[in-house]
Amino acid sequence: MTPEQITLVQSSFDRASQDLSALATQFYQELFARDPALRALFTTDMALQKVRFSDKLTEIVRAIPHLDELLAHTRALGARHVGYGVRVADYQTVGEALFAALAAVLGDDFDAETREAWHMAYNLMAVTMLEGAASARPIGS
Amino acid sequence: MLSAVAVTLQRWPIVGRRSELEVFSEALSSGDCAGLVIHGRAGVGKTRLADECRMWAAAGDHPTERVVGSRTTALLPLGAVAALLAGGLGLPGPDGQLSTVALFERTRRALHERHHGRRLVTVADDVALLDASSLALLGYLAAQGTIFLIATVRTGEPVPDLVTGLWRDGRMARVDLSDLSRTHLDTLLHLALGGPIEAGAGRQLWEVTRGNPLYVHELVLGALESGALVERSGVWHLEDRLLSTSRLRDLVEQRIGSLSEQARSVVELLALCQPLDLGYLETVASSGVLESLERAGLVTIGVADGEVRLAHPLQGEVVRAAMPRLRARAILLSEAERLEVMNPGPGPASLRIAVWRLDAGGRPDPAMLLRGAHLARYAHDFRVVRRLIEALPGEQLDAVAALLLGEALYELGDFEAAERVLARGQQLAGGDHVALRLAVTRTKNAQWGLCQPEAALAINAAARTVITAPQLAEELVADEASILTFSGRPDRALAVLEGITGRDRRTRVVRAIAGAPALAAAGRTAEAVSVAEAGYVDHVALGDELAIAHPAMHLVNQVFALTEAGRLAEAEQLARAGAEIVASYRVPIAQIFFAANLGRVAILQGRLATARRYYAEAAGLAEANRFAGPRRVALSGLALAYAMLGEADAATRILADRAAGPEFGFRGPEQQLADAWTAIASRQPMAASELFRSAAAQAAATGHRTTESWLWHDLMRTGGEDASARLRELADECDSPLVSARARHAAAARSRNARELAGAADDFEALGALLLAAEAASGAAEAFGRAGDQRAATAALHRSGRLAEACEGAATPGLIRVAGPAPLSGREREIVMLAAEGMSSKDIADRLYLSVRTVNNHLQHAYAKLGVTSRAGLARALGSDS
Repeated sequence: MTPEQITLVQSSFDRASQDLSALATQFYQELFARDPALRALFTTDMALQKVRFSDKLTEIVRAIPHLDELLAHTRALGARHVGYGVRVADYQTVGEALFAALAAVLGDDFDAETREAWHMAYNLMAVTMLEGAASARPIGS
Repeated sequence: MLSAVAVTLQRWPIVGRRSELEVFSEALSSGDCAGLVIHGRAGVGKTRLADECRMWAAAGDHPTERVVGSRTTALLPLGAVAALLAGGLGLPGPDGQLSTVALFERTRRALHERHHGRRLVTVADDVALLDASSLALLGYLAAQGTIFLIATVRTGEPVPDLVTGLWRDGRMARVDLSDLSRTHLDTLLHLALGGPIEAGAGRQLWEVTRGNPLYVHELVLGALESGALVERSGVWHLEDRLLSTSRLRDLVEQRIGSLSEQARSVVELLALCQPLDLGYLETVASSGVLESLERAGLVTIGVADGEVRLAHPLQGEVVRAAMPRLRARAILLSEAERLEVMNPGPGPASLRIAVWRLDAGGRPDPAMLLRGAHLARYAHDFRVVRRLIEALPGEQLDAVAALLLGEALYELGDFEAAERVLARGQQLAGGDHVALRLAVTRTKNAQWGLCQPEAALAINAAARTVITAPQLAEELVADEASILTFSGRPDRALAVLEGITGRDRRTRVVRAIAGAPALAAAGRTAEAVSVAEAGYVDHVALGDELAIAHPAMHLVNQVFALTEAGRLAEAEQLARAGAEIVASYRVPIAQIFFAANLGRVAILQGRLATARRYYAEAAGLAEANRFAGPRRVALSGLALAYAMLGEADAATRILADRAAGPEFGFRGPEQQLADAWTAIASRQPMAASELFRSAAAQAAATGHRTTESWLWHDLMRTGGEDASARLRELADECDSPLVSARARHAAAARSRNARELAGAADDFEALGALLLAAEAASGAAEAFGRAGDQRAATAALHRSGRLAEACEGAATPGLIRVAGPAPLSGREREIVMLAAEGMSSKDIADRLYLSVRTVNNHLQHAYAKLGVTSRAGLARALGSDS
């Protein structure tokens, strides 16, 4: 990522997180619309789930400028998701749902540059989450 | 920034390859899957992904191993997989042969025991560079579930048969790696550098590398070393231009070129002899040098085993290419010596030692060379056999080595040299078994290679005065029969074979090879099919032995027998399947004959363009493998196909080409079909008739009953001459419905019996002989018309036309009458043919003892029927290309 992209991700997230609950609701709507089967992975109360999602996303976005901190968050998160049966392809779906939710909440502010910055940021999160997942799941187990 | 330095010290993270790892994980947990192929271009990350898979597997408690193909290891069979040969190489048996089957099985058991039944996850990097024996062993172990094979294949390099075979059977998963996307490249840089990168630098790296991971790796590490890429206030900037090369290889060369002398000597050592033990390398170079090499991403050190390797195959290639020959030689020889001191006696290390000595141009242990030659022979890698035996010192060439070398020379098409080596081998003491095999290989070379059947018979007779043990003598009798069969004497071959009891399996196999084609030629087709079938079963049980044809030759024989039995569709199916099998096992002689037999079946089916294609393929294969005799057979078929398509010039050219090669008696009378049909296409019916007759007489004298029937029938269908009596006799002597249908056709044509002609058409059509069916139907139409049954005539004519449509442009005399709205009469056809040749009406009248007026009348009628107005139009209507 470029320094400008990091700034762009953080400032747009500040704006979107003025109503975090709306962003979370929009995200899960987009996610289940793309893959209804994913609904089965969420067994806890959805209200609680949305709060968890918002908190985690906030933590991660804040950590982007500091790679070590970011890695600590994402690797642990990835490792935790192994138990839920999340597969590589699901990361793609989640990313698309996140971009769609941001677009819905931010409207015109989610322009091409902002979208590209989010693409880079999300890929960094997803790759490092998958790294965490891999180290938590030895082959053959 | 501290974290950046920390990151470059370690291996770079793996980015954008998680779904591929998922494929691997699933393949490994599935018991059915024997492995994974990783395919992609150089530098895309195949080695890295394979290694990542291996590390995953190791983390899951799987034992793992790594073998690397290179031009060095390809020199000695199994050199690359020495680490897998847990049970050692074993010793040759009493007949001088090393049992490869036993070796493979011993290896399997040893690995199974060593790893307590767990599959050994084995990475074979650059599998296309492995020698044939190593591939065969890996294939065997993977198929048996002893190893899980991870094979990498570089784009553009041939995928070995072992991989395609397993893959075709659905036993191998496959991933195709492509370069990283812009987003993944960005993530990779972010993680490798430990922080954000300035926009211009990121863009430049993308534009130069296009996401090729090795390229990125080399470029970034080079830029870090040179100080072009620097970090300021937590952001990476490009202060200087990037190395300006667009080729990955150049980049690798530049980086290796800038190494210190000590670092370079470590890299050279690894390029030739990797993997090497870390402990040993520490005695060669200071730990600072090793550390800097690791930091520069040039070498990797195994965490568990402490084995050091170059990080990427391309680095090895670059180093080896740049190394002076003498320096490489010195390194190889000193490493061989070191390893020998550490590991005296036979064992896997001895193989590596031999590889290094051979590569250095030194003299490896002769016993090792001989074993290597046996292994290569098993894999049909005859070039390596020749190389290894020729590396033996002259005084070490014993009878067994001469046998191996002679066979290899024969297979490689160097027949004169094979004759010299085998003759010399016969003078060396080696026991009766070896003497027998030398004799049999030498006759095979004389027969198939030198095309000298008389010399082959003389070699056989001489050997029988020396080798007298009953069982071995019997094989020589079968060998004599084989020479007779394949030089065009099936009658004598069958007589000789009667003296054989066939108690011994090997003798039965040789007997079947000679017997099946002879029986088929004699018209005993049912027997021929079952002999070929049993021969194949016996041969497979016998294993792949020296001085004996490949088991696929029984399939070739079976195809021939099925064809002679008129079972054309079955013959075609078997030949196609067989051709596919032998294509992957390097058995050129079987490849040639499968193609030629497919051409032959197509001729009989009337699919002439298909026949031409197969015969051309057979001729090409024969030429490429220097088999002059089989080439003659194939060229005869090719000329026949052209002639039946009406292309006289092409057929004539091919016959001239054929005449430049030696005579070859196998299917001799059948070869003359080409000459006769070329005469037909060249409008020389008298010459054709003579050729058919003399070939048929030769067929009768040599026991080629089915061929004789073919020749008489073709004489009948092209020249209208009666041969029905002899065809009837042949039909009674043979058990083939094809031979019977020919007899029926000839008898019906003689008596002009319309119903019988239609019946013959039915017979041919049922056999799939569509051109013959079309011609018989055409004859039926003419006979019905003569009898005044216009409806039946029209129906038969339509049928003939429909059948002829499947014949891919056939232009035979029997079909010409179909071209017009009404059939030409016999006289009209005769006159038309001469007119099309360019003869004047006067000349035609003189030749046929007719008046010029009669000739002109006939011509006018023929013009009307054919819808033409001139002699030029006539030639076109007759399908002439003149």
